[in-house]
Amino acid sequence: MPAKRIGVFICHCGLNIAGTVRVKEVVERASKQPNVVFAVDHKYLCSEPGQTLIRDSVKQQHLDAVVVAACSPAMHETTFKNVVQSAGLNRYSCEIANIREQGSWVHDDSDKATTKAHLTVRQSIEKVRLNEPLQPITVPVTRRVLVIGGGIAGIRAALDVANGGYEVYLVEKSGTIGGRMAQLSETFPTLDCSTCILGPLMVEVYRHPKIKLLRLARVEEVSGYIGNFKVRVHQEPAYVDVAKCNACGECAKVCPAELPNEFDLGLTWRKAIYTPFSQAVPPAYVLDAKNCLGLLPQACGECKKACDEFGTSCINLDAWPQTHELEVGAIIVSTGYELYDATKLTEYGYGIYPDVMTSLEFERMLSASGPTAGEIRRPSDGHVPREIVFIQCAGQREPETALPYCSKICCMYTARHAMMFRHKVPDGEAYVFYMDIRAGGKGYEEFVKRCQEEKGLLYLRGRVAKVYEENNKLIVKGVDTLSGKTVQINADLVVLAVGMIPSSETHDLASKLKASLDANGFFSEAHPKLRPLESPTAGIFLAGAGQAPKDIPDTVAQASGAASKALDLLSSPTLEREPTVAKVIGELCSGCGICIPLCPYTALSLNPKTKVAEVSEALCEGCGTCIASCPSGSLSLRNLTDEQILAMVEAMVAT
Amino acid sequence: MQSYLYFPGCTLRTMARDFDASAKASARALGFELKEMEGWLCCGAVFSNVDDNLMAKAGPNRILSRAKRDGDTLATLCAGCYNVLKRTNLQATHNSPSQQSINAFNEETFNGGVEVVHFLEILRDRISFPNVEKSVKSPLTGLRVGAYYGCLLLRPSGEMKLDDPHRPSIMEDLLTSIGCTPIDYPSRTECCGSYLSVSSTDYAEPLASNIVKSARSCGAQLIAVSCPLCKYNLETSQLRNGGDSTDYYLPVVYFTQLLGLALGLDPQQLELDPRQMKPIHEIQTLRVS
Amino acid sequence: MATAFEPKIVGFLCRWCSYAGADLAGTNRMKYPSNVSAIRVNCSGRIDPTLVLKALSLGADGVLIAGCHPGDCHYTNGNIKTLRRFKLLQKMLDQYGIDRKRVRLEWVSAAEGEKYAQVVRSMTDEVRTLGPLNWKTKVELAA
Repeated sequence: MPAKRIGVFICHCGLNIAGTVRVKEVVERASKQPNVVFAVDHKYLCSEPGQTLIRDSVKQQHLDAVVVAACSPAMHETTFKNVVQSAGLNRYSCEIANIREQGSWVHDDSDKATTKAHLTVRQSIEKVRLNEPLQPITVPVTRRVLVIGGGIAGIRAALDVANGGYEVYLVEKSGTIGGRMAQLSETFPTLDCSTCILGPLMVEVYRHPKIKLLRLARVEEVSGYIGNFKVRVHQEPAYVDVAKCNACGECAKVCPAELPNEFDLGLTWRKAIYTPFSQAVPPAYVLDAKNCLGLLPQACGECKKACDEFGTSCINLDAWPQTHELEVGAIIVSTGYELYDATKLTEYGYGIYPDVMTSLEFERMLSASGPTAGEIRRPSDGHVPREIVFIQCAGQREPETALPYCSKICCMYTARHAMMFRHKVPDGEAYVFYMDIRAGGKGYEEFVKRCQEEKGLLYLRGRVAKVYEENNKLIVKGVDTLSGKTVQINADLVVLAVGMIPSSETHDLASKLKASLDANGFFSEAHPKLRPLESPTAGIFLAGAGQAPKDIPDTVAQASGAASKALDLLSSPTLEREPTVAKVIGELCSGCGICIPLCPYTALSLNPKTKVAEVSEALCEGCGTCIASCPSGSLSLRNLTDEQILAMVEAMVAT
Repeated sequence: MQSYLYFPGCTLRTMARDFDASAKASARALGFELKEMEGWLCCGAVFSNVDDNLMAKAGPNRILSRAKRDGDTLATLCAGCYNVLKRTNLQATHNSPSQQSINAFNEETFNGGVEVVHFLEILRDRISFPNVEKSVKSPLTGLRVGAYYGCLLLRPSGEMKLDDPHRPSIMEDLLTSIGCTPIDYPSRTECCGSYLSVSSTDYAEPLASNIVKSARSCGAQLIAVSCPLCKYNLETSQLRNGGDSTDYYLPVVYFTQLLGLALGLDPQQLELDPRQMKPIHEIQTLRVS
Repeated sequence: MATAFEPKIVGFLCRWCSYAGADLAGTNRMKYPSNVSAIRVNCSGRIDPTLVLKALSLGADGVLIAGCHPGDCHYTNGNIKTLRRFKLLQKMLDQYGIDRKRVRLEWVSAAEGEKYAQVVRSMTDEVRTLGPLNWKTKVELAA
């Protein structure tokens, strides 16, 4: 129903508009437009009296549509729509004509500015004339949250949501929660024992009545939309009853299958039946079916025999994988990171020389629960290294050949590593090759300074060109740019601070979630400053290193932030979405299907029965790209139809 | 017989005739031909790679546009020429304003499209090393050779893409296929000093002598190279103080000369001199006895 | 004496980037000619090439489509679709005998107020030099 009684309100905005645009003239010309029954100007329409004027005019003049010619809609569109709604009209009966930011402020000439203002007002009149009255789309909200990834970010987010009163599913791919933080020995800058601060949180998650932990689980499929996600999760069995297992280890003693232990990055061995690490949560053993000698048919069964005889009889080799169909309203993604493959850095010889290690491997070595019970030893011969070289920025900040970005944490953990080395090997010498020192957090600079001033620890500003082996030593050839000399260090051990990359499942998960990834494969945030905790995909929130390299304090803060966003989403049983979405006139649709693959939100589908296109109003974000592709004109965008656009164009160009 | 359009470069016509001769002879023995291109000129060596002198690029562009008339592959031997021509070709594919100026000057429209291949690539990718091995008549068993790459074959790695810039293996793989024992030594990819050996001898000489020392200390009897300037630098650094008459002298040869020997060709045809032949005679003696 | 020709250029600006960029030009009080009238769309991907042709046939002398830089589209890749359609549209313009310079696709981010002002200035000058399109008159004359 086109509007028949349009009211036009022209704002002076003090002198911002009136200083250049002849407002009275615009009012006069507007009043002559078809179906404009009322036109008036005001000094400040956004003010209380201004808003009252609009409200009263709507009622008194029986207006059915309003045009406000003022500042950019980015400023007060919502304000004026609210005013109009409070006067009893549908919000979409109000259009804003931008005669300030794109009018009086950019055109000097009064004649030209006035003419343009008039054209802009005419344009808005034509649009509002054809606007449909629309109601926001209400969708129900499933008040449950899914957290993907059980590292410190996932743990913190899950606890916050659960403490906020809602149920959480925590899906973790490995046999235990804890993630990377569990692999750390200490944390900078306080040198807190990592497990001591992480352990209690892991137990809290495990015991929390509102958190359902699904470990050995992966997300298989995600469908639905914000407030209404349906997630299929595939869970492998542990083959061990968690309630009965007391982690006695009798099963592992007899297991014949041995393989490199992932937790220790291959520096130690584990059996096919194992506990991921001694403080694993759940505190039970897990059977790694892929590396077991065989379950179908059963090839061995020694573990079960041992457990029945000496243990608690908690092994069941006939368990099956489970599929869980979860319904949640919000998803928090906390999938964490891995390390860049150091074998690609051929100049350092990682993978060729056993005494070249990555920082995480060195970390495991430092750990009391690690491969050497916390002693620093050379992997090649087990001797204590006296001279150790740390290379920062290994394969990072190198856009031509490796990672272009900085991983943020390496300067800090290298300082910690060098410090720990000096404590454990008091007569040792440590050299740190660095490009810059990035120590921006609280207490970070002070910590690094302490390390730089430590005896026996030398910081060299320069890069390492090459590492090679000679006479059982690692010859490190680098440069010290501050003295301008090349440097050669005959080291016993070399530690590479390699970059953080998104964990391997990220790419797959992102396509399942339809959440975008940035150029480096990390989950994209909707806006780095305005919306750092959410994916552009509505209902998906981000926490931790899966979004970008960061340290533990930032991870925990982001996780709590993401949880609060999820709680906000869940705070009401329903959700309102903008109704300016796509619409299909079924009778006109030929079922050609051109529009279907264009939608970035998969909001379009071809109905298998009627064979015409259908729009999911909850998924549609109103971009309009499908409309532009439709050959039959059956697709239109509510309140921005082709008819409206052409009417606006005509208002502008017709003489 | 398969024929490859070939760019010899200035030095292979003068100081490094042995490189040219041994390559052509080995090629024939392997069943392909190096056919010299029409109207070639000096590539300008590393001086052509500078970015702020378009004139320097006119030469290599002219070479490539002339080569393009006869085909889209151009084989090279000298590491310097290989580097210049390959990178010039790559630059030309971006039709930048500089490229347009060069084309206007040369009165040619060259926008890349020539695949510049090194002789080693022909052996590895087109003939294949197993096939080279099949053609070997007198394997150089027991000969310990240190392959020396220098800079220009491998770097910048993003453009050259011949092999891994830090731990290459293409020359060692070739040496293995002809029976040699390749020696790994740390300095095999380090710079020999290049033209600095002429202008700043004090600076450049230690670079070359370190490479020789490194190869020698790891057990090499011979150094194999693919660049006349590297050969000159490595030899000259040993000639000071009468080093060439000592037992420590490490002869430097072109890899094509070793290839030729293994394929059964005459050392004279390959232009090898007695000093270079000394380690080869040693291993031959050992074999006989 | 007829007044000097002032081109009428229709602008389709995407709400998230280029419209915001245009607003920024205003906030910074940059000056540019008043020949471009902007229509705000959610995404440059909304623009069907036939809308552009219809705009020209209704009396526009030029059409400006402004969107987010590739990679920055609020709707992920709407601007890429615009780019594809634009290439085809250019071919259609050639077939109609309409100078390609009359229809422009520009990427303007929300931070590029200066760029928007520049685009308006240069496009206005260009279309002014090309002269009025007078599509309707041409069609009538041809008929």
